[in-house]
Amino acid sequence: MFSMLQRSQVASLVSRGKRTKSKDVVNPATQRIITQLSVLSAARKQPRLLKLCKEDYIKHLVISKAWSLLNKQKQTSQREMLQKQYDSIYKANEDLKKVNKFLFEEANKREQSKRFSLEMRVPTEYPPNKVWYYDYDPNASKNKK
Amino acid sequence: MFKNLRIGSSCNSINKRNFSSCLVLKNEVSNSNSLINAGILLSRNPIVTADMNDFEKKYYKYQEELSRRLMWTFPQFFYFRKGTLAERRFLDAQRGPVSKQPGVWFPKGVPDIMHNRERRYKQEIIIPREETSSTSGQEDSNSISRPIQPNSRITKSDELNDFKSLERKLSRTLYLVINTNENNIWKFPSFQLEKDLKPLHIVAEEGLRKLGGDLIKTWTVSNTPTAVLKYSKDKKLIIDTNSNDANNDDETNISREYLIKSHILAGKFQLQPSQNIKEFRWLTKEEIEKLVTPNYFQQIGHLLSNV
Repeated sequence: MFSMLQRSQVASLVSRGKRTKSKDVVNPATQRIITQLSVLSAARKQPRLLKLCKEDYIKHLVISKAWSLLNKQKQTSQREMLQKQYDSIYKANEDLKKVNKFLFEEANKREQSKRFSLEMRVPTEYPPNKVWYYDYDPNASKNKK
Repeated sequence: MFKNLRIGSSCNSINKRNFSSCLVLKNEVSNSNSLINAGILLSRNPIVTADMNDFEKKYYKYQEELSRRLMWTFPQFFYFRKGTLAERRFLDAQRGPVSKQPGVWFPKGVPDIMHNRERRYKQEIIIPREETSSTSGQEDSNSISRPIQPNSRITKSDELNDFKSLERKLSRTLYLVINTNENNIWKFPSFQLEKDLKPLHIVAEEGLRKLGGDLIKTWTVSNTPTAVLKYSKDKKLIIDTNSNDANNDDETNISREYLIKSHILAGKFQLQPSQNIKEFRWLTKEEIEKLVTPNYFQQIGHLLSNV
């Protein structure tokens, strides 16, 4: 009786066994490299090829053309404006040269080691919490130094 | 003494042979000073990016949708290790594609799924939000995972239409224009040169501080003037003609205004009471066009930015 019970217990223990097949165990470092490479590779990650019907393709071409035309217009108007600005600088300086030599020479001195001011900021998509800095005091920074 | 010396030295470089001509030039300088003005083109650069028109908005939307459609599948296995809680949280948040079943008719085409993604469409990834312990509202506003709420691109000054505020029209370049008491004409501020000759940009900067107080930070682009405006004896702007011959007759009576470009970077522009000026405004190019005379705008329009 006792031996029977023992035997059944042993049998149940034996039957537990391994449920899954033993895989080829990969070194964790190798596994990491495999994962990283598979992130970079296209295998199974690419979407379906985009196939446009004729109408959609023509639409796409029209949109692209309109965009490039708009950019071209912007560039030409920009170039024209820069040319006008250059001409007006030239004219002003020629005039100044005629009127007053001293002012002309002062105006055309080389400004060495001129830098953009640190307070200048690049436009962002949304304004900062403090839109404009009003409490500027020119003497404050001098006193600090 | 030092100024005279500088004038002399500059003359020497021009005409080394004849020193007497240099003295004559100096005298001329002191006489004609009152006819020279230094104007300042003070601008506030845009604080936010330029506004897009309808076409630009739609084009960018179209391009974004295209790039999302053509994007590779998100490598979720790289970011979430298998069997972790983080992976489960991520997977729970995803909507998940409709999988292919045998004997089922799919009206939108047979699903084509790989790596848990419908390959025919763009992949939408939902990032699971961290559940915050619901206590008081104050804690939520300080927590790191609170949603980002950008500030409005339209400010209070825009709503009030306050022309004197530097916070209006954040996406545009604003220029300082003033209305003088003399002839009720809107123009850029300009300052007369005094007897002791100073370079134009210094006169302009000092004049600006007399006009708007000391507490402003400006950055002058260059010592060189960007444009010249000529006024006849009765203070009327001479129409700009490309040929110089027409104006040569009364060259002596013409007063000139040289414009210096500068940016305001910080500080409060407060009109000083001692100045003979009615009003000042910060305006965009289009608003300036409406306010000033057509002749004036024709001569300065190209100096103003369209953005």
